[in-house]
Amino acid sequence: MTSNIGIAGYGRTTYEKRTTRTLFSFLAEAGRKALDSAGMNFKDVDGLAICSFELPPDNTVTAAEQLGISVSWAYLGTAGSAGPVASIINAKHAIESGQATTVLCIAGDNYDVGGHFKLMDNFSRGLRNYGTPLGFGGANGLFGIIQRKHMETYGTRREDLGRISVDQRRSAQRNEHALLRGPMTIDDYMNARVIADPICLYDCVLPCAGAEAVVVTTLDRAPAGKAVRILSGFERHNHPPMEIAPLRGGWETFAGKLYDKAGFGPRDMDFVQLYDDYPIMVAIQLEDLGFCKKGEASAFLAANSFSWDGSLPLNTGGGQLSCGQAGIAGGLLSVTEAVCQLRAEAGDRQVANARRGLVAGYGMVGYGHGLSASSIILEAVQ
Amino acid sequence: MSAEIAYPQPYEDEDNAPFLAGWREGKLLLQQSRDGGPLFFYPRPICPYTGSTDLVWREVSGRGKIVSFSLITRPNHPSFNEEVPIILAEVALDEGASLLGRIIGAEAASIASGARLELLPPNEARRYPLPAFRLAA
Repeated sequence: MTSNIGIAGYGRTTYEKRTTRTLFSFLAEAGRKALDSAGMNFKDVDGLAICSFELPPDNTVTAAEQLGISVSWAYLGTAGSAGPVASIINAKHAIESGQATTVLCIAGDNYDVGGHFKLMDNFSRGLRNYGTPLGFGGANGLFGIIQRKHMETYGTRREDLGRISVDQRRSAQRNEHALLRGPMTIDDYMNARVIADPICLYDCVLPCAGAEAVVVTTLDRAPAGKAVRILSGFERHNHPPMEIAPLRGGWETFAGKLYDKAGFGPRDMDFVQLYDDYPIMVAIQLEDLGFCKKGEASAFLAANSFSWDGSLPLNTGGGQLSCGQAGIAGGLLSVTEAVCQLRAEAGDRQVANARRGLVAGYGMVGYGHGLSASSIILEAVQ
Repeated sequence: MSAEIAYPQPYEDEDNAPFLAGWREGKLLLQQSRDGGPLFFYPRPICPYTGSTDLVWREVSGRGKIVSFSLITRPNHPSFNEEVPIILAEVALDEGASLLGRIIGAEAASIASGARLELLPPNEARRYPLPAFRLAA
């Protein structure tokens, strides 16, 4: 049965490397812009989902107090940057079950590079007690272990992973929201400063401040010609248990049903917005989500191009690698870019004839790797 | 060695006190369900394989091998700045469990996946808050 629930509006704030603004000012701005884009206002919202590392001691309900809205459904993201996509899946269920009619999903954080290390050092009890005292280098050190294992297991080459950073930068040059818009060549990528060998500078995201938001509601409430249908969505957490550095992220557990329920396969996607905390994780998503076989990401990367006009448009606004990573907003940036493309509002980085695309989230780094994976497939309503 | 700045320490609680006390004597203690099953790390009040909360501590050899590793030139805390690159490895212990660990006293160029490891001897181990390894002789 085709879903009649989708995304009616999207909003994004400017990203800032350093800011004096409060977290709530970012969250509120993104929310207001998403409602503007949906032709709605805060009074139309009866469900609220918030994903933010820095939200405590606040939560979704105190966020509702700040926004001045009374809601019948409240969701607090728990899955790191897999949370925003998961919040959309759960918002859809809340609407289907009558708990809400219109859900505002917001994700954002405001920190900088120093704040990011502090966050990672205390990310979970497991990391705080058994990672931080090792000098583990935050996420960089952990994903260096994963990348080396992928390279040594499958022959994955840095110069192929670099295609992700380089091609996304080319798209970012057409996105005024991207913090990093300077030209990047594959030589720049290969010769960049080492951070946590084999991870180098252009494998890493720039921590920053900002927020993203979308409005999930029934399609009849969306502005004419602007509705985006949610075809399917699934999430997975702590998979596989008790592996420190797996070469899969959890998407492979639901990829089959994700496509079955959507009625489309990987080759029917006009673009993909994958979670690009590191190129190696994009490569693993391409494998887990069936764009190539496990272990063949390097050859797939070498055979394709990934800018907005490429053979597989990927993170068409530049992704986190070029836009910056505003904490958990990184898990919703992918969705707002997808909706922007499906509404044909992407200007000179518009993917030609963009009808449907896949979005994936990933996050909540535990003792060695990201514990959470999520994905949705979206389609423009004709 | 940055003697002025202390390493970040694990937060000691009832779940990990025996493990931390063991390491202070240079021993590596892992948990296991009393009824058997795989050894596991990190310390916790329930066996992630069997669901049992009736757990025992087992001392293991500390011998194992490098599964994969990263060489960290940008550590997360200033206490590590003079020791870069930090060699952070996924270590598969001979007894079956895996853990993250530092490899001490080796040139980065001499590190390779598959290399054999052993625990640092107790007199060298004392200054490290968590089990640390060296290349096996």
